[in-house]
Amino acid sequence: MSQREGNKVDLQSHSSASSFSHLEAKIRQTHSLARLLTSYAEQLLQEYVQHQGDPFGLPSFSPPGLPVPGLNSPAPTHSGLPTLERLQLDAAALNSLSPLLDTIRHLQADLNPFARRLLRRLEDASHQSRALGSAVEVVLGALGATPGPPGPHPMLPENPGVFLAKLLGYRVCGLYQEWVSCTEGDLGQLLRAGLG
Amino acid sequence: MLRAAGGGLRLGAALPTARTMLALALLAFGALRAGSGSYLAVIAPQDPTLLIGSSLHATCSVSVSGGDTPTAEGLYWTLNGRRLAPELSQVLNATTLGLALANLNGSKQQSGDNLVCHARDGSILAGSCLYVGLPPEKPVNISCWSKNMKDLTCRWFPGTQGETFLHTNYTLKYKLRWYGQDNTCQEYHTVGPYSCHIPKDLALFTPYEIWVEATNRLGSARSEVVTLDILDVVTTDPPPDVHVSRVGGLEDQLSVHWNSPPALKDFLFQAKYQIRYRVEDSVEWKVVDDVSNQTSCRLAGLKPGTVYFVQVRCNPFGIYGSKKAGIWSEWSHPTAASTPRSERQGSSGACEPRGGEPSSMPVRRELKQFLGWLKKHSYCPNLSFRLYDQWRAWMQKSHKTRNQDEGLLSSGRRSTARGPTRR
Repeated sequence: MSQREGNKVDLQSHSSASSFSHLEAKIRQTHSLARLLTSYAEQLLQEYVQHQGDPFGLPSFSPPGLPVPGLNSPAPTHSGLPTLERLQLDAAALNSLSPLLDTIRHLQADLNPFARRLLRRLEDASHQSRALGSAVEVVLGALGATPGPPGPHPMLPENPGVFLAKLLGYRVCGLYQEWVSCTEGDLGQLLRAGLG
Repeated sequence: MLRAAGGGLRLGAALPTARTMLALALLAFGALRAGSGSYLAVIAPQDPTLLIGSSLHATCSVSVSGGDTPTAEGLYWTLNGRRLAPELSQVLNATTLGLALANLNGSKQQSGDNLVCHARDGSILAGSCLYVGLPPEKPVNISCWSKNMKDLTCRWFPGTQGETFLHTNYTLKYKLRWYGQDNTCQEYHTVGPYSCHIPKDLALFTPYEIWVEATNRLGSARSEVVTLDILDVVTTDPPPDVHVSRVGGLEDQLSVHWNSPPALKDFLFQAKYQIRYRVEDSVEWKVVDDVSNQTSCRLAGLKPGTVYFVQVRCNPFGIYGSKKAGIWSEWSHPTAASTPRSERQGSSGACEPRGGEPSSMPVRRELKQFLGWLKKHSYCPNLSFRLYDQWRAWMQKSHKTRNQDEGLLSSGRRSTARGPTRR
């Protein structure tokens, strides 16, 4: 927390008095959205593991740290970065997650065609991830920061097996939860520290 | 790198777009790091499909990445999260652990049973999904109906065994009998899991052939072909606006009124109706048949002071002059009404038939008396219910008066009686 507070953003210096309240409202609104999506992301992960079969749902399940090139978990150093840089990383990650979640939905439509609630949650998550990413970019724009560079394009992989496809979905749902939660924290810190 | 050895992911031939998206969106995976080491492993076979009761021989082969020396010692298997008995495994060579499973049960989930190879420290090295089940049975009992001649809905059953433990796809197909190509129904699960709805573009006065194909990883099966003309399987919505009301003070009757389904006005057919009713706390329905083309009916022989639930359904017939009956509609929503309470003394137990079912005996007896009365006063050539109602009302009045007189008479007698006191 003390590291985050060391990177305070002075919102008032970024806007006139009349637009300050508008900016603050926008940040609050985006923060509320992130908080809501954090809850949804937790539910999505729970729903996902239920449909893959054990060991996915077991408390002892300890999957390998499946790397997704171009999209990692928030780094341990993330909280020490300047606020705007953190938000740039949040927006880039959320935008990258949207097509990944959509792909997982297609995979699950084949593996679990009758899991309608799971498929709907994945579809919603894909849309919501992009929406939150866009909202964070709007906040960045209002603060005078440009969005970060887009992530690398995914490469053509070899054909994975079904188990690997299940692991992939687990990893992507986990990344979505991590980044939405991280975004909520970063926006919350912006509100607390930046508004003084 | 966790690789697929052989089979790969079978997403289904129907999802090329998904496969492309998967190819674009999935990334080249790095190694699955096993605990402190950097092992690579692969399970063979990948994602096999097997019959229930069959056996499986699998291998988990580790290879090296980095400076560690891989070894099959210490590796173990789990199936759906449960560790498999050591005696089922065998170290085949320095880097390969074998597994022999016999008499396999049906898969626990449709996405496949998770067979996982673990390192000594429990971390996951590789996985493969087993699909164990049965080929589909021939779908049976196809039944179809057309709502108002605009569409066709069909339902079927999945065959005698039912459970295949594998995702089984059902496709309903249809074609005009004498010509035309096969068409495939698109809207599934409209009235249950084994159903499909064809919303439009159906021809009348010509037979269709309809069948269902069932397919899963272990094979396919096709139902018998059903041939039908849409006009022979027409049904309607239930009759709307069903009202049930008392018939004046008559304690054993209720009057039922309804409207004909709106679709009947569009087509050249009539309708026959059926009514069913039951006592509120009973599950047994009584059915009144032959309520031909009228939209009202009177229920008689009911229990006084009792709540009844009533439903009506409709069968269109005479479609475009045909003599054939259609298919009964669904029953209307239940409508409730109660018969008036009986005013006769002692009616709480003495006159009601045991078992709670309305009896026809009192009605017949009354009707006989009524006909006798009519003969005696035969100035009314046209019998009508109105006259019957008037007589019923007169009967009840005279019963009441008689009972009151008997009550007075009894009390008078008791006051002068010698002998045992009446209870």
